[in-house]
Amino acid sequence: MNKENIVEIHHLQKSFDHGKITALNGIDLEIKKGEFVSIIGPSGSGKSTLLNMIGALDKADTGSIVVSGNDLIHKKDLSEFRSRKIGFIFQLHNLIPNLSVLENVEIPMYEKKMSSSQMRKRALELLEYVGLSDKLKRKPTELSGGERQRVAIARALANEPSIILADEPTGSLDSKTGAMILNRLKDLHEKENVTLIMVTHDMDVASLADRTIRVLDGKIQN
Amino acid sequence: MSFFSLIIKNPFRNKTRSALAIVGIAIGIATIVALGIITDGLKASTEETLKAGGADFSIAESNVSDLFFSKIDEEYIARIKEVDGVNDVVGILMAIQRVEDNPYFVLIGIDPAKLSISNIKVTEGRAFAAGDAKEVIIGKVASEKLNKTVGDTITLNREEYKITGIFQTGDLQQDGGAFLSLENVQAIENKNDTVTMLYVKIDNDAQVEEVTAKIEEEYGNDLTTIASLEDLASIDQGLQTIDTASWAISLLAIVIGGIGVINTMIMSVYERTREIGVLKAVGWKDRRILSMILGESIVLTLVAGLVGAIMGIMGIQVLLALGMDSFIAPVYSADVFIRAFAVALSVGLLGGFYPAYRASRLPPTEALRYE
Repeated sequence: MNKENIVEIHHLQKSFDHGKITALNGIDLEIKKGEFVSIIGPSGSGKSTLLNMIGALDKADTGSIVVSGNDLIHKKDLSEFRSRKIGFIFQLHNLIPNLSVLENVEIPMYEKKMSSSQMRKRALELLEYVGLSDKLKRKPTELSGGERQRVAIARALANEPSIILADEPTGSLDSKTGAMILNRLKDLHEKENVTLIMVTHDMDVASLADRTIRVLDGKIQN
Repeated sequence: MSFFSLIIKNPFRNKTRSALAIVGIAIGIATIVALGIITDGLKASTEETLKAGGADFSIAESNVSDLFFSKIDEEYIARIKEVDGVNDVVGILMAIQRVEDNPYFVLIGIDPAKLSISNIKVTEGRAFAAGDAKEVIIGKVASEKLNKTVGDTITLNREEYKITGIFQTGDLQQDGGAFLSLENVQAIENKNDTVTMLYVKIDNDAQVEEVTAKIEEEYGNDLTTIASLEDLASIDQGLQTIDTASWAISLLAIVIGGIGVINTMIMSVYERTREIGVLKAVGWKDRRILSMILGESIVLTLVAGLVGAIMGIMGIQVLLALGMDSFIAPVYSADVFIRAFAVALSVGLLGGFYPAYRASRLPPTEALRYE
């Protein structure tokens, strides 16, 4: 494996429904450390499945996938890998409704042996970074869409991941708020040198990335 | 926020559903607590009756379902007296009569000369006369309830009895009743030459085990000796029945409560499918998700345990206020509450495990896709 590569995928295959639906049909992909990559393609093309494979939310059938030095085909404890290496941002923010903004950001830290005060300190720093220091006690329902997505960004950063995986992060936001969220992600990528992999179907959004990968019918188009 | 605080917070997200689940389990717990308090009270009071003051052990008819139905021929008093090591024997006849508005007024017939063998202290007035003189001593509780004292009369079986004294034993059932001569109770009950139980006092150098063994050997077909509450439990099916019923109700409460908890927690997990997907995505281990859901289930049932214990105690207070206070002396032992909380905990563990297991096994991608 090339040392510069944080993601290396070869001949990756994945099907659902006992082989009836082929989601990934031989993917080969290398992503360098610190790169900002966007993955585009129509719905059903397999782009989200590919992202889930990189984030170890799902296991491939055949092929090889090595992320940040971890062989995800053979690794047993995928939750630990997710906890240490990956930060997810979803189209819908997926915040926990009964918890405050601050508590939502603390959620990923339970798997790290951190004390309550350490968790709190880290969450406060992250919320300051996304500009929500004044809304710590608010519940997600009391926030605007853009604010919720900023909380989700803070949550994704909680465990200092080496890769941020964003699945349509602006998909449910208006264009102005969406642009703000993208700026925030781009800033994160540039200043912190975090590898950013973003799934989108919006060409304008995709063009912000260093490199755009097109996926169609479970294959990468050149 | 600690993981523990999170677990405590979660069950109260859907307040109505949690409240309903808590009430359902609490009713079961309340029944266990109330029955336990009554059973313990009955046991304590029965033990008082057995351990009557100077007596070392009691004798009842063998093979009766309840001590109350025991019938012993009076001539056994003389026969038992002959047994080696026996110092004194007294026969008592118990009866229940309606007196004014108390349907469970306990009458005990005894030879007044042998009152000392029972643990009765006449605190006011004097003991009743032997034979068929219409005299009676009543307990302190009865005296307060009936508002009668020395010199007043009381009607038993349509005959007027003069109250010659007030006594106190410390046992509610006895203190709520009256002592009178054996002959009088035999006449009221139409049970001539019959007693319910014998109280036996042994010689100072004799051993209870040896004397009871001799009596069992000689008269075992007709009589049984009761030296402890365990002995009593083996012959008194009344206590056994209450005990069995109490366990059966506990079991029922576990089953019904468990099903309620499974239902509540499955609904809760179902509603939070997406959220569980997110927790997995941010790196939570299956084990942590399992402990969270199981913990929530236990929080729910422990709250139900607390509510149920309070409901149980309140239920007993209601029973007492309704006039059962002359019959039931509640005993609030730690045992009852420990058992109630053990049941609550088992319900939480049993009912929470399946939903928790299911949640922990959800595939993250499916959970995240869930609408």
